Amino acid sequence: MANVVAYHRPSSIDGALLLLGRTDVESRVLAGGTDLIGRGDESAAFEAVDLQDAGLGLVHLGDSRAMLGATVTLDQLARHDGLPDAIRDAARRELPSTLRTQATIGGTICAAESESEFLATLLVHDPVVEIHGFDGRRELPLPQVWAEPHHLRGRIITAVSIATDGETRADRTARTPADRPIVAAVARRPGDGRIRLAMSGVAPTPVLIDDASGVRPRGDFRGSAEYRRSLAVTLAARVSGAL
Amino acid sequence: MSMTTNTMISISITLNGTPVTAECEPHEVLRTVLRRLGCFSVKFGSDSGETGAGAVLLDGLLVSSDVVLAAAADGHEVMTLEGFSQMREDLDPIQAAFMAVGAFQSGYSAGAMILATKALLDRNSNPTETEIRDALSGVLDRETAYVKVVEAVQRAAAARRGDVPQPFGPLILPPLTDGVHAVAYDPQPTAAGVSAAVPRLIPSRDVPEMAVVGKPEIKVDALKVARGNPAFVDDIELRGMLHARVLRSPHAHARIVDIDDSAAVALPGVHAVKHYKNTPRVMYASGGQSWPNPFPYDQVSFDNKVRHVGDRVAAVAAETPEIAAEACRLIKVTYEVLPFILDEREAMSDGAPVIHDEADAVEIHDSSRNIVHHIHAQTVNDADLETAFAHADHIFEQHFRVHQVQQVPIEPHICIGWLDEDERLVLRTSTQVPFHARRMVAPLLGLAVKDIRVIKPRIGGGFGAKQEMLLEDIVGHLALATKRPVRLELSRAEEFMSSRTRHPQTITYRTGVMNDGSLVAQEFSIIGNTGPYGTHGFTVQNVTGLRGLSSYNCPAKKFDCKVVYTNIPVPGAYRGYGAPQAEFALEAHMEDIAIALGRDVIDFKRQNWVKVGDKLDIVMFLGERGTIEPEDVDPATFPPVMTSGIEECVAQGMRAIGWHRRDEPDWVAPPDRPHIRRGIGFAFCMHGTAIPFLDMGGCSIKMNDDGSFNVMAGAADLGTGADTVLAQIAAEVLGVTIDDIIMYTGDTDMTPFDVGAYASSTTYISGMAVKKAADVVRQRIKERAARLLGVQEPCSIVLRDRRAWAPDGTSVSLEDIGLNSLHTEDQEQIMGTGSYVSADCPPPFAAQFAEIEVDVQTGQVTVIKLVMAVDCGVAINPITASGQIEGGMLQALGYAHTEEFAFDETGRMVNAELGPYWIYRSDDAPATEVFLVQTMEDSGPFGAKAVAEIPKDGVAPAMRNAILHCTGVAINELPFTPERVYNALRAAEVR
Repeated sequence: MANVVAYHRPSSIDGALLLLGRTDVESRVLAGGTDLIGRGDESAAFEAVDLQDAGLGLVHLGDSRAMLGATVTLDQLARHDGLPDAIRDAARRELPSTLRTQATIGGTICAAESESEFLATLLVHDPVVEIHGFDGRRELPLPQVWAEPHHLRGRIITAVSIATDGETRADRTARTPADRPIVAAVARRPGDGRIRLAMSGVAPTPVLIDDASGVRPRGDFRGSAEYRRSLAVTLAARVSGAL
Repeated sequence: MSMTTNTMISISITLNGTPVTAECEPHEVLRTVLRRLGCFSVKFGSDSGETGAGAVLLDGLLVSSDVVLAAAADGHEVMTLEGFSQMREDLDPIQAAFMAVGAFQSGYSAGAMILATKALLDRNSNPTETEIRDALSGVLDRETAYVKVVEAVQRAAAARRGDVPQPFGPLILPPLTDGVHAVAYDPQPTAAGVSAAVPRLIPSRDVPEMAVVGKPEIKVDALKVARGNPAFVDDIELRGMLHARVLRSPHAHARIVDIDDSAAVALPGVHAVKHYKNTPRVMYASGGQSWPNPFPYDQVSFDNKVRHVGDRVAAVAAETPEIAAEACRLIKVTYEVLPFILDEREAMSDGAPVIHDEADAVEIHDSSRNIVHHIHAQTVNDADLETAFAHADHIFEQHFRVHQVQQVPIEPHICIGWLDEDERLVLRTSTQVPFHARRMVAPLLGLAVKDIRVIKPRIGGGFGAKQEMLLEDIVGHLALATKRPVRLELSRAEEFMSSRTRHPQTITYRTGVMNDGSLVAQEFSIIGNTGPYGTHGFTVQNVTGLRGLSSYNCPAKKFDCKVVYTNIPVPGAYRGYGAPQAEFALEAHMEDIAIALGRDVIDFKRQNWVKVGDKLDIVMFLGERGTIEPEDVDPATFPPVMTSGIEECVAQGMRAIGWHRRDEPDWVAPPDRPHIRRGIGFAFCMHGTAIPFLDMGGCSIKMNDDGSFNVMAGAADLGTGADTVLAQIAAEVLGVTIDDIIMYTGDTDMTPFDVGAYASSTTYISGMAVKKAADVVRQRIKERAARLLGVQEPCSIVLRDRRAWAPDGTSVSLEDIGLNSLHTEDQEQIMGTGSYVSADCPPPFAAQFAEIEVDVQTGQVTVIKLVMAVDCGVAINPITASGQIEGGMLQALGYAHTEEFAFDETGRMVNAELGPYWIYRSDDAPATEVFLVQTMEDSGPFGAKAVAEIPKDGVAPAMRNAILHCTGVAINELPFTPERVYNALRAAEVR
């Protein structure tokens, strides 16, 4: 049970930044709650800053890109017929029906789970993350956000922009068809013809890769490092070959 | 909303259409507040929301209320199952559809399922099955295989569109065999196009026509479940109730050098802290079994040693769960950490840590080597056995390893205890064994049995995990110490690490076979891992021996078993009770022998499996009576098989699975999918029905003024449909419908004794007790009816259609008889009691088939379809029986495929949450098809045998044999996870 000692629901991004910027209390962004509340522990007390009224829940479609508000839920993505099928399918696969209605794209990015096929799918769609702070607005490629987490300190993800063109293929190995994949591979060939290949389950976060044989995964009870490496090579070849 | 820190928050929601204001704390989730507002249909399954038991509609969207802060719901609309009842007096089409098809078993997650259906149908009036399964994917159901749930959603959708639903019942199919002999295989499916939710029923000419028994009656408890009425343990409110929490061991094996509870005791709001220093040391065995409980007695309520991660250290009762948790953190425990062992194969090694070194444990076989029991049984002496092996044309020896899994009831263990107005201790608890629990907890609390009342209300699944006295002593200690009501509920992680699991085993089979395929000698050796405590270790391993040496005829058999201690979370009873382990190894072993001999696998097994008239010899040498030498048993006393429908089961199952495809190369290796291989596997299954001369059930029945009847039975319905089956039996005898039967079960003050719900015994044992009690009542009714009708011979009276009929066609209603007996003439309470203990243990039989696909490049196995054809005698209710089979198969598939305990280097389970520990969901459950093959078992009530556990036996070997069929690779260790299969495939390539 998460040790939430106070709850705030700011009605603007600036209001949220004010709350998060306090130095005398531990504050955390509450997006969907599937991670922060569902997997919280009792030891660390914090104040929750709920973004549900901050106006970040919309999807805007452009010619070849879409802007996804940070509190857009995976369920919204799965149902949005203007988005690429690969994004919709990955959003549906990410969580079961009771949780995908709550989990948000911003929260999912912050959780950065290694085995998230949805995030791997996002990666091949050239995602650019919009971040707001009191020092202004910045846009960063998603891999850079994960590599340089200081960009999020005291700031808020407000949106993610993704490419919507091209063809995508995905494959995965899991215990069952609905289980979180041990390793998943997603490949996309956009208009420029250069294939983007991303994988989950082979690094601390999902990653864009050029050569699957070079991955250095950590093993766990669902798949040893050696096995994950083998899957990476096999699945990468399949999805790339299918394009 | 304004900022609020460490104070109560006032939230306003629209709850089921009504504006509501509620106070909550910042950390409280929506589930907690909704339950406080009286919405008891919102259930706890896990804090992470993965079970979906707490799902509600938030602004029309299905959400897990476990992960929504109550404060975050402020300003929103919330709907729970209670909202349906507030909207209308009659049933919503969704509720009606779920009831009609038997989609609920325990119904613990009924609210979530119905709301998921509403959310789906509100946006999609005609969903596909894939869309339905996706919509239900967040609501885990451990009891069904989602088959009837999907059917219910489809029927609800049709009803909403204005279609009139057809009655739901079994599809009657003609037999394919004469009941005895095999027939030539015909590839035409027998029930093409019929919904998978419909059980296929193959009647027997031996079964007479009955009015209620054998009919697809709607469950007697369906309405309260569909409405979400408060029925479960936690659905009560008691003034001044305290919340308990258990401090658990972080170490797999350690001695507690000291406990300092002073800071915890001093914490405001803490009322009691119990641990080894302030609790009487009374040795016991926690397994819920008949008196005297099998040895060893190796547990105490709180010990000065911990033997697994999650073991009890101390318990706290406090004003709130948060204070109890804080108090646990304040207890200072000084540990001397000891070496530990997890693998049963290492437990007996020289230098292995001794897990039970206490002086007061009772009847451990060899504690210095961690050997709890040494069980052996043989039908011939050693010399004769070796002679038989020496004469065999072939000897096959194989080794198998089966692993640890958990029952995962969606309702975790929960117990609420208080002192009543007579200062007796009342324990309202989620148990399968209320009477055993009362007897077993009494000495630990220093109370007489008569000073305790155990109530088993509605239970949200058990599967054996609740055949234990697990929480009752803790709650009892705390309630007695505080004189306040005390509530203790396990978290999901505690349910994994601190309740009960299935025993891992290391198994060896050695079998001597002649060239003609007949078995001449069979030796079955196992090391059973009972974890840190004996509990069910002896009896489970006994059943492994029994099941492993009963299915096939063989003149010389030997079973040898060592049950050993380790430091894994505690194994105990789990549906199947030792049989799934044995039958995995046995059916794999027999498959491999058949292939080695060049035989058709079914023909080879058929040649050897037991048939009507064959004697079941090994049963006479196993059990709780200790070792019996072959010379001391008269073979004439071996019980024979009296009924078997296995040939019909095999014939129906082969057609349903499409057995002929095994021989089509393009089907096995589809040219357009080069990395896929398809396989079909088979397993022969045989189980038992109750424990002869031990399992006993009691029942009392009384007649009311209006001709209805109260049936009070000690049996424990866990959601299995037992109450319905017992009501059908009573109704059949008394000539009424089940609407006239009011069931009340599982209350030690109010109902007769029953051993409880285990060993596939309820229908057979408790059912016969009900039948006997009903027979007594029927006789009294007939006597009074004869007097009222002027008939000389009461035996000529027939009860039918709520009336008593004389041979001349005159009749009197049961209501008139009830009024006459209670109010007007020679008054008496018409009532009867019955109890039953069986001398028999008639085996149900089944044919299990599995169709799978193997990705030979990755090792991923996808299960496409499971077919099970079961001879369970007469299914008293074909809908509930088929629901048991469907749910059992899917649970068994988890055992075969996905479920496992994984440990880190400290002995801590690393996947003690749902997700990492994967149980099948609605959107990945394979297709299933169930056949009920009738036989008339004369020893059972109206011909019934058991059905509850046999679905657990065949899935793992059928899946293993399917993998073998299509890849040529035999895997003798469970589960068939992708990496294990991948490694096996690669190893075979290397060879």
